[in-house]
Amino acid sequence: MSTFRRFRAMDMFRFNNINLDRYTETYDLSFYLTYLSSWPDLYIVAESADRSLMGYLMGKVEGKKELWHGHVTALTVAPECRRLGLGRGLMDVLEVASEKTYDCYFVDLFVRPSNVVAIQMYENLGYTLYRQVIDYYMGDGVMPTEYANDMRKALARDVDKKSIVPVKHPVSVEDTFFA
Amino acid sequence: MESHQLKPIYEAIGQGDMRRGQTECDKLLRKHSTHQGALALKAYVLAKLGNAEEATTLGQQVLHTPGALKSSHVLQGLWLTFRVLHLPELEIAVYNTALVHTPNSEQLYCKIFMAAARSKLYKDQHAAAVALNKLFKQDKYLWWVVTSLLMQAKSAQDSSVRQLQLTLAERMAEKALSEGRLTNTEELRIYLEVLELQDNHAAMIAALSTSGPLAEKIANDPDLITQWIGLLIKTGDCKQACTVAVAALEARDNWADYKLYVEATVAQASEGEGPVKAACANFDKWAAQRGRERGAKLAGVELTIRLHEAGHAKPADEGADAVGERIWSYVDQFMTKAICYSDVMQHFVTHVKSATASGQTSGAIDFHAKQLEQRLHNARAAATATKCSEDAAQSWVSLERIRYLIQALADDVDPQRWVADIGAMLSFGLDSDEAEQKLAACSDMTLIACQRLILAAFLAYPEPEQRGLLFASLFKVVCVLEAGIKMNDDQFLLKLYAIRLYLYLSCYDRARALYDTLNIKNIQFDTLGYLINGHGMSLGCFSTDLELCYDGVSFYDRSDARIPQELESAYGNGTYSNITDFTTFRDNLTHSVQRECTHRCALRGEAFDHGTSKDILEQWKEADAVSIEHTDETIAALHDNRDIGVMGLQTPVDMAKWNLEIMTRQIPLPGSAWIKIFSMVPQIMHYIVCSEIELLEAKIGDFLVVIEEAGQSVSSHDLLLARGVHQVATLYLRAQSGDEGFDGELSVLTEVIIGALPPDMSASNSLDLCDVALSTIRTASVATELFTLALSVKHALSAQRSPSANAVTLGLSQIRKTALKLVGGLRTWTEKPARESIDALWMNAEDPLLASATTFLLSRRKSAVTLATKGCVGSWLKSVNNMAAHWKKCT
Repeated sequence: MSTFRRFRAMDMFRFNNINLDRYTETYDLSFYLTYLSSWPDLYIVAESADRSLMGYLMGKVEGKKELWHGHVTALTVAPECRRLGLGRGLMDVLEVASEKTYDCYFVDLFVRPSNVVAIQMYENLGYTLYRQVIDYYMGDGVMPTEYANDMRKALARDVDKKSIVPVKHPVSVEDTFFA
Repeated sequence: MESHQLKPIYEAIGQGDMRRGQTECDKLLRKHSTHQGALALKAYVLAKLGNAEEATTLGQQVLHTPGALKSSHVLQGLWLTFRVLHLPELEIAVYNTALVHTPNSEQLYCKIFMAAARSKLYKDQHAAAVALNKLFKQDKYLWWVVTSLLMQAKSAQDSSVRQLQLTLAERMAEKALSEGRLTNTEELRIYLEVLELQDNHAAMIAALSTSGPLAEKIANDPDLITQWIGLLIKTGDCKQACTVAVAALEARDNWADYKLYVEATVAQASEGEGPVKAACANFDKWAAQRGRERGAKLAGVELTIRLHEAGHAKPADEGADAVGERIWSYVDQFMTKAICYSDVMQHFVTHVKSATASGQTSGAIDFHAKQLEQRLHNARAAATATKCSEDAAQSWVSLERIRYLIQALADDVDPQRWVADIGAMLSFGLDSDEAEQKLAACSDMTLIACQRLILAAFLAYPEPEQRGLLFASLFKVVCVLEAGIKMNDDQFLLKLYAIRLYLYLSCYDRARALYDTLNIKNIQFDTLGYLINGHGMSLGCFSTDLELCYDGVSFYDRSDARIPQELESAYGNGTYSNITDFTTFRDNLTHSVQRECTHRCALRGEAFDHGTSKDILEQWKEADAVSIEHTDETIAALHDNRDIGVMGLQTPVDMAKWNLEIMTRQIPLPGSAWIKIFSMVPQIMHYIVCSEIELLEAKIGDFLVVIEEAGQSVSSHDLLLARGVHQVATLYLRAQSGDEGFDGELSVLTEVIIGALPPDMSASNSLDLCDVALSTIRTASVATELFTLALSVKHALSAQRSPSANAVTLGLSQIRKTALKLVGGLRTWTEKPARESIDALWMNAEDPLLASATTFLLSRRKSAVTLATKGCVGSWLKSVNNMAAHWKKCT
């Protein structure tokens, strides 16, 4: 059973059961702290009945005008906590906040094409492939260099679903930056 | 004009060329000796070049020059100087002085606030916040005042001062709330923290029950709702706690709220059946909703247990097995989920422990064993059927975990029972169609099998004379782990155990290779670095270990710079709930056990850097003997952030007897004694090369006390090294004083070093495999390190023109000659006979305990045996080669 609560800096001392997973990146400290200091309500952790961490979602909001959106920076669930609907629950928190608190047009995320399990989950949650980003993921000796699937889901504010009309050609990483 | 004059300096600084920056400053100062801008920038470049003393003096000189801070160049140059020098008081003094020229500057007050916040100068922080609030009347500054009062109160030693600050903070926040200036949950959290520190729960509840726009934000914030329910329970309003909890649980599944709902319900149980019935009805209702079964069902189990504990069990539930049946009912429903075991583990433990308290341990154990038996039989049959579903596989794994726990709770010390069914578990984990498909349950099963094998080995072979059998068993577990890793590279727990066991067998290189595949970095240096860091130093792999230490040191340095910046951002963004969290986090990281270990290891590793005698002496001279000084107080202030819970234990961490993380440590986890010893070694070496005799004498006296007190908290090899270092220092003291008795000390040192080297292979032509895995490489590593330190002493004596230098040189060259021969012999053995010994003594020796694992490995996973053998032999060879190369270079 899980408790959903805000992530705390102190959680970094015990998120190894999640981050040792090969698809989960352990970023520089300032990356986590910047998210906490900027969007604490979009950085959610699930904790089990025995107080171990089960998974977390780091999110943010960015963009201007019709590109104003919620973004999933990282979503990861410990191996033993999969198939419980935790990913769905964490995504739900972000989607609700993006829609109700921040009034966004859509939510987007990047995922490795090789991470088929995650892609399947996002598709089940209503996300579709918007575009591919060339060499978004750089190899680090453990994981290979890969392009990213940029997936999106339109929110209620995007009445005409313009935000999810797919881009035909792959784009470069620079094209994904929001001012 | 001033900008134009300073341009070349700025350009040099901008390009990171501080030397040129200094030259440009000097050039300008030759023409205009009192150019304050040039002086301020010179202070900055000096600070960046590491010349702290001169930079501070110059910076202070400019600071106290009347009118200097009218210039923005001086202001910037000075605050940057003092920031680089970590002198926050002076940085703040710069801003305060600048305020004389630019009164009421919002920017300067903000800079004071942030500089003080970064450095925990809460009084200055508060004063700046008050000024900002008064001058600019922004809500943000009001909350800066409240937050700085809170931080001041938390750090105050005097309770009356603390209370005064809390009262002030409370009044300000209360007023803000009533005036509608408390608008978001971040501000509310600070207010709640102020109230909580005063145990003012009623006011906290009032704040959380507020109406208006804030109420909606509270309702959408699960943490605040949970806090609210908890407060209602604390204040005895359990009825209202239930109401709030039910409303929260209607909206979302949250275990924290379930637990509090149960607590509030149990608290009302003595008043009648109503609350319990209502809770049960709610649990049933929620359990019927899709996706909510687990929480509601587990809450039912929790309620049953808590009612029993409180003596409120219904007559129908009073049977000894009622609680157990609820637990098993949960298991039946959710054993197809990997998390099932984690959900119920503590309930099993609680149930058995409460039975123990009432003298019925065996009853509870027997009950669970009986419940398990048929289920396990069925699950195994289903999982090993021709076509096994993922659910069936997971069910078997869940039940195997419960079996493991029940055996531990029953204090089952029979190794045979721990390895029963290992063959079936290995076949499923490694040799089934499901394993080929990389089913997670198969890797989990392999892990459980390995954990059982490790436990059985330690139970069966606890005596020192049984080491050979223990090592043989652990080697077989390594083979199984290698097979598991080969089958599913994603399972990091198999790698963690493999790392641990390789190190147990003194094999650094393979352990390190596996560690590297885990991609451990950043904060993980602090939490997981302990897995490998320092082991290279003990196993002859000095430089590879040193590289890792540098990665760790660089992480800590980056963190020191960045966390304060993030603290600033939290204030800037108004996310006040982060302030306490970030501050605690920074304290934990700044005063971290692993940080100390990493720094000590780095210093230790640097001793192996080769260079001229001058380089070596310079290195020890530069070693900072002061900042690494430890007292009992500084040691007590350290935080242990090492994540020892990551090993996927099947029993609670506090069941120490069954804790495999503890069991598989070949050497104790470095703690206070280790840190003290390895802080003193560089200090001793520093005093030797600096010829600080009195300080050295005092230090080695203290050192001896620390060694004597260390006992078993440090490894025998580290103690051997420490005693050797003491001998090195004693030799130096005698030799430098011209005491003729120094040759006796040299003989003792020679005996210590040669005694730690491998036995003479030309004499016996054989080595005990068990000795190699246990200590041969470790003691040879100690000898190598001691010799390296002794060589520094020799260089110091020569540099100090001691008449004994030549005799020491001669003695050390004799040691080196012997060492090259003995280490060479060890290399010859490692290159060939080692492999044969592993085959004969570890893999093929008769061992009834691990017979089924042996049969499985030899018949189905020979490649894993080859891999593990290579892992051991290759690692030993690498260690020996490293040491041999080092001895060769030590001329």
